[in-house]
Formats: sequence, structure tokens, C-alpha cells
Amino acid sequence: MSTTSSTGIQVARVGDIDDGEALRVPPEATGHDDAVAVFHDAGAYYALDDTCSHGRASLSEGWIEDGEVECPLHSARFCLESGQPQCMPATTAVRAHRVEVRDGGLWLHLGPGEGAAG
Amino acid sequence: MSSRRRIAVVGAGLAAVSVCDALRAQGYDGELVLFSAESGLPYDRPPLSKDVLLGKARREDVLLRPEQWYTERLVTLREATVVRAVRPHEGGLELADGTAVDADRVVLATGGTPRALPVPGGDDPAVHVLRTWEDSVRLRERLLPGTRVAVVGAGLIGAETAAVAVARGCRVTLVDPVAVPLAGVVGDTVAGALHGRHTTEGIDVITGGVCRLEHPPGGGVVLRLAGQCRSVQADLVVVGIGIRPATGLAEAAGLHVDDGVVVGPGQHTSHPNIFAVGDVARRSGHRVRHEHWEAALRGGEAAAHGILGRPLPEPGASWFWSDRHGSRLEAVGTMADAERTVLRGTPDSGAFTVLGLRDGRLVAAAAIDRGPDIRAARRIVDRGIPVDAARLADESADLRALLKR
Ligand SMILES: Cc1cc2nc3c(=O)[nH]c(=O)nc-3n(C[C@H](O)[C@H](O)[C@H](O)COP(=O)(O)OP(=O)(O)OC[C@H]3O[C@@H](n4cnc5c(N)ncnc54)[C@H](O)[C@@H]3O)c2cc1C
Ligand code: FES
Repeated sequence: MSTTSSTGIQVARVGDIDDGEALRVPPEATGHDDAVAVFHDAGAYYALDDTCSHGRASLSEGWIEDGEVECPLHSARFCLESGQPQCMPATTAVRAHRVEVRDGGLWLHLGPGEGAAG
Repeated sequence: MSSRRRIAVVGAGLAAVSVCDALRAQGYDGELVLFSAESGLPYDRPPLSKDVLLGKARREDVLLRPEQWYTERLVTLREATVVRAVRPHEGGLELADGTAVDADRVVLATGGTPRALPVPGGDDPAVHVLRTWEDSVRLRERLLPGTRVAVVGAGLIGAETAAVAVARGCRVTLVDPVAVPLAGVVGDTVAGALHGRHTTEGIDVITGGVCRLEHPPGGGVVLRLAGQCRSVQADLVVVGIGIRPATGLAEAAGLHVDDGVVVGPGQHTSHPNIFAVGDVARRSGHRVRHEHWEAALRGGEAAAHGILGRPLPEPGASWFWSDRHGSRLEAVGTMADAERTVLRGTPDSGAFTVLGLRDGRLVAAAAIDRGPDIRAARRIVDRGIPVDAARLADESADLRALLKR
């Protein structure tokens, strides 16, 4: 399904992820050391490491609203853009990645110094 | 702020650590000292009756904060250091070894201790409680396949412990005087489904009160039940009948204590320089102490604002969770506050939600394995959005749609 290229990894097509939903991209698809959650919030796409920095919950199952995702386990919130924690109990950021919308596809570019993209 | 040079926190559980986090986030740059009666880095308690007891989590997996958090945020942890007294007039504390510690503000975050079974034989060595890391490890070592385990109290910790014990191959009996525990908080339907699940999983569930523990000559323990000729034979007993708030220091300091240290919205006690947070505190005007994880966290945040004299964060609806038999219960608010309830989903499927309404608003929600409903419900409660019962019951409609402007 995912196509690796120097221009990113295609993880989905526009329309595959409803507004307010997220897609979990497993590590096998990216070569990254964590799954990546790709979020759709109010028309924009974002990507963060999927595992919450507080525990072991999957952020792709979190609540997405106003540029933030709330962890399904203990409700820590993270900025979708930067991965920075917005409230307790999380105190460390999750890594942020970039999503490019191109040719009707969603292309994931792993954050600086990470994984196998490029 | 510069006049406040040191804040001393008694206890180092979630509430204590949350106070420190929030104080630093608010820019407090004075000293912060945590006094912990326990040894080692502070840890989180919920896993003690879940993954730790199942043998799936080690101590380093359940730390509240990593070691560098203390150095980065300049929080001094004085582990294995018991505070013996709070001295409001002198402005400070006295440690068990007699040392005096000055502090401008004192935060009591002392939690609670498990209530002992108030019956003859209730202090038997075969009786376990579950509050600390050591309690959990001691119990885990004894939950061996075939062991007869009697759990007294089917509330949150008792129910979780019984579920772990049966998963580990123990023969489990769960005894509670209440036929359907938790019904007041989560409503009859959810409480009934949760409690019924114990039986399906192979736990012998008994409605009754333990009135005496005896030692038969052949070993083990016998639990006698009040008014019943039936008794329970066990190799070990776990008692989960609630906690007593650790109010000793507050009482000795002359603070207002009434089923917990009584606090106002900014967690102030009856003394202006002393604050109380977490399981030990009770909000004045609230009937009960909210002995839950998130209440400890939010109380810590509120105390930081109170200490620094900042406007308080909006208190949201209460929330807690509990894991048993591979399912997750979550609840928002208290179902007893509702005048009518609406069911989403079918209890027979195992996963469903009950929403509690009052005057056309949502006031409570309880769900088994339906996290997204709970997340939406919480926001609907907090934002006071008017709701329509038929629409809430309609499974084809996403609750999130109600939040869209
Ligand atoms: C087994 C278990 C499972 C739980 N599961 C859940 C759950 O699934 N969901 C949920 O919402 N909540 C759960 N809770 C509740 C939640 O963990 C508590 O509400 C929370 O830990 C309270 O934090 P606290 O900081 O107020 O108190 P505590 O965590 O009890 O911390 C108080 C600390 O103060 C120390 N102390 C006391 N007196 C002194 C003194 N004089 N000097 C120095 N130190 C002192 C104590 O030793 C202790 O370490 C669970 C609790 C337990 C015990
Ligand atoms: S695991 Fe995400 S907030 Fe705890």
C-alpha cells in the first residue's frame, strides 16, 4: 500500500481519513522506530509518533480537536503541529513529522534524523 | 513570587508531583522539596492492581516521572523521609529525626491508608491490602495457580484484584455486602454488567458481610459471613474496602478536618499557608473525597494556582477509569445526579454507554469499552450543550457531531 520514494512515503489518499480521525501507520511501513499517527483536523493533516510520551497508548485513537490530540488513556494533550505536550500528565514531546498533500495522496516525511525516508 | 522561597510538599504521589509540575509551568522559581515516606522514585498507583499484579510491568515502567524530571525542574526529592509535624505558626515542618525545615507554603499530599477489615481476625497475616509497590509485589508472588483467594470488597481495587487473580489461575471468591457495587456512580446497567462479568469469568461472587476470620487446624483462613451459614475457605485474603485519608498531620496542626482535610477551590486548608491535594483532601461542599487519579492531578494544578494567587482553572466534570477482565470502565460525573438515562449500544455486546441527563443537559456518562463516547460526553457536559435523548440513543449518530458548532 505505501510507496517509499525520496519524496516521502505515501500513507493514504485524500479522503481516506475523515475529519477528526487519524490513521495509524505501522513501523513496518516506514522503517521508523514507532508507528506514526496521521491526523486530519479541520482540513489539515499532521503526523506524530503514535505512542504517547506518558504511557503506551496509541495517539491515533485519541480525540482530535483545535489542533491538538488528547491521549485516550489519561487525557494528556499534544500539539498536532509540534508534538509538544499541552497539559499533564505528559511532560515530554512526541516527535512530529510532516504530511504533504500531493497528487491526491498523503505523503509522510519523517521528522529530522529519523527512519528510512529519503 | 520572589518572597516565596520554599514550598514543601508532604508526600510524593501523583498529587504532589502534579503540584510541582504546575508550579514550574506557572513560573514559580523558588525551592520545591518533596518529602516521601517511601523509598525510590515516586510511582503511579493504578498499575499496582493491573499490570504490576499481572507481572507485566516493572518498577521503571510505572514511575510518575523520569529521574531527569527532578533535576530539570529543580525538584528536590527527599525519599524515605517521614514528616512528623507541620508547624503553621513557625512556618515549616518537622521531620521524623527531629530536623526542622522552613517553608513559606506547605502542601499536604499524604494520600490515604487502606482501611483494615474491622472484624475479629481482620489483622491476620494472610490478609493483604493494596496501596503500595511493596503490597503489589508481595501479593503478586502469592497469586499462584490454584491458590484460593478471597477478595473482600468489590469496588474498584477489589474488582480489579479479583480479575487479575482469576486470570492468574487462582480460585477466587469475591465478597461484598452490596449486591451491585458502584451502582450509585455508574448506574445500575453498567454496574450490573460489570459485576455480572465476574461470574462469567469464573469468580464465585457472594453478597454478604464478613464478620470474622478464623484459622482452621488444617491451614488457610475461613471467612465467616454475617447471617449466613455459608463460609469462604481461602489461602489468602485481599481487603479492598476503601481508604482512610492520612489526616494525622493536619489534625495535629489544628486544621479543619472532616473526612479529609477540608479545602476550598484553590486547595487552601483552614490555614492560609497550608494546602491539601489528592486523596487526603475533600472539597468543602462536596459530599465525598474524589479518590481518583485525575482528581489528584487536577487538584495539584488547582493548588499551584491557589499558591501563586492566579485565577483557577475551570473545574471540569470528574472522570475515572478501571480495568478488569480485559475491559475498561470509564465514567464522567456521577449517575446519581441524573434524572433519566439513555442507553447507547447493547449491554449484551459487552461494549455500551449509559448517558445521564438532567434538565435537558448531560450530567454523567458511564461506558464499558467505549472510550470515544466518554471523550465526547465529557466535553458535552463541560460545555453545557443541550441534548436530545432520542438523538443520544441513536447509534448511527456520532456523539462528536453534537460538539460541532
Ligand atoms: C491499587 C490502586 C489502583 C488504582 N487504580 C485507579 C484507576 O484505575 N483509576 C483511577 O482513576 N484511580 C485509581 N487509583 C486511585 C489513584 O491512584 C489515587 O487517587 C492517587 O494515587 C492519589 O494520589 P495522592 O498523591 O493523593 O496519594 P498517594 O499516591 O497515596 O501518595 C501519598 C504519599 O504520601 C506519603 N506520605 C504520607 N504521609 C507522609 C508523611 N507524614 N511524610 C512523608 N510522606 C508521607 C505516602 O507514603 C505516599 O507515598 C488507584 C489506587 C490504587 C491504590
Ligand atoms: S498514556 Fe497518554 S496520557 Fe497517559
